[in-house]
Amino acid sequence: MIEEPYRWVEAIANRREYIETQLAAGSPIAAVGYRDGILFVTLGRARQKIFEIYDRIAMGAIGHPGDIERLRMAAIELASTEGFTRSAADVSLRRLAHYSLSPVMKSAFEQVYGPPYLARLLFAEIGSSPKEDLFLRIDYDGAIAADGLTAQPRQRFAVLSGTRQSAELMEKFLQKAHVTDAALPDAVNTALDAWSVGRMAMGENASKELPDPAAVRKHRDEQLAGAGIEAAVLERDTKSAIRYRILPDEELRSSLQC
Amino acid sequence: MDKPPLALDPNFSGASEDFPAVLRRKGLLQIAPEPTAAAGHHPFVPTESTTILALKFAGGVLVAGDRRATAGNTVVYDRADKVLEIDRHSIMAIAGVPATAWEMARVLEHSFQYFRRTQLQEMSVDGKVRALSKLLRDNFGFVMQGVGVVVPIFATYDGNSKPEARLYFYDAMGAQFEVTDYAATGSGSPAVRGILYYENNWGGKKLQQLNEDEAIAIALRALDTAAEADTSTGGVDRSGKIFPLIKIVSRDGINTLPEEKIAAVFRQNVA
Repeated sequence: MIEEPYRWVEAIANRREYIETQLAAGSPIAAVGYRDGILFVTLGRARQKIFEIYDRIAMGAIGHPGDIERLRMAAIELASTEGFTRSAADVSLRRLAHYSLSPVMKSAFEQVYGPPYLARLLFAEIGSSPKEDLFLRIDYDGAIAADGLTAQPRQRFAVLSGTRQSAELMEKFLQKAHVTDAALPDAVNTALDAWSVGRMAMGENASKELPDPAAVRKHRDEQLAGAGIEAAVLERDTKSAIRYRILPDEELRSSLQC
Repeated sequence: MDKPPLALDPNFSGASEDFPAVLRRKGLLQIAPEPTAAAGHHPFVPTESTTILALKFAGGVLVAGDRRATAGNTVVYDRADKVLEIDRHSIMAIAGVPATAWEMARVLEHSFQYFRRTQLQEMSVDGKVRALSKLLRDNFGFVMQGVGVVVPIFATYDGNSKPEARLYFYDAMGAQFEVTDYAATGSGSPAVRGILYYENNWGGKKLQQLNEDEAIAIALRALDTAAEADTSTGGVDRSGKIFPLIKIVSRDGINTLPEEKIAAVFRQNVA
């Protein structure tokens, strides 16, 4: 039956709907460029969602932990063997995403008898100058988006969320609030606000428009009381080849504007 | 990048592999032949022509190596780096066949990072020490063929349970020995060990109480002494102004001493 083209299209559509439902509750992640690099921020209670992939590449992910883990391992393994056999400079996010991860995710998604990857990934690669930074999203169907959902080329931030509406509102918020050369504490504040905007656009009483700043701040403070901040940076100018650094929750909280 | 890895296989179950195993699976790591008796065609010839030393002093561990690379009795290179940074707090210094040693350092460097990235925690110092031991053991087939002997020193700073600098030396089969004060390896090491033993017991101060300049001075004197009798050790090349490579491991990470600093200590305390 599935051999008939219409059935196949229908099966894919069902599968898409199923995956979207599964991902809908995923806590948003914001990645923003700041003065000295790129910052990843999310809020969570249990599972780690921001990861180091290679010297200059970081990943944020929402979805099923098992699937995220397989994709994460694959990305690390590819980057590490490339960095080992050639050099760290030859490891590129563009190649990793376009030639390795995307085709694999696409074929898993379209082979309707096999399991798809229940995961949505957000990558960032830090370059030697802000111009060379790369933000890149890969969806469960292998689709790659290097710019924002709303087609604003070369914006120096990217978001990941469970629903399209939530991600769009986060981008809308960041287009106004994001300052490219902000200091780290300011960037953390903006990213946390963006997270709150995204979170408020999800679930039962989802807001369809950008909420006013006071409401965002109120929501954010409520969430901060119950959840930990998970954050990491890719730093541009450091003596070390490894640019990824985890920012501990305590360090972040002391710099928050409440 | 090559074809997507097996990790995307539906049966994939977590990262139980370490990095050398990944490399072997992909055919990127040369596998040493079974060690066989050295008799017959491949007499065991240790070729550890160099001098490396490490000593603990008040500011951490100092690791120093001469710069000469030799092939038989020919000097092929006079600016070789034998003191290699493996991660933010670890140094591997090598005596032996450079091709094998540098490859080993690369594998080791990637192993530590691969572990941290996949397992989401830093490898313990004991794990790191053991990882090098395993690489040496896996390489032993080449050693018995007389083509790949490596005898390293490993210095690191343990930031965990009991923060302190740690220093190990190895034999070619992979046995590791932790030392309290100093270690030396390579063809010039007997002279260096004599000097460091003497300094530690009857010198003005114990090695562990030396300040940075004093430690540098002793390292330079020891290398110079080794070079006096060992043709494979470069020591300090006074005419070419080539100085040994010196790195210091401490709580703050690794500090590679600039040549001017070494030159200044050399002029004041050695020359």
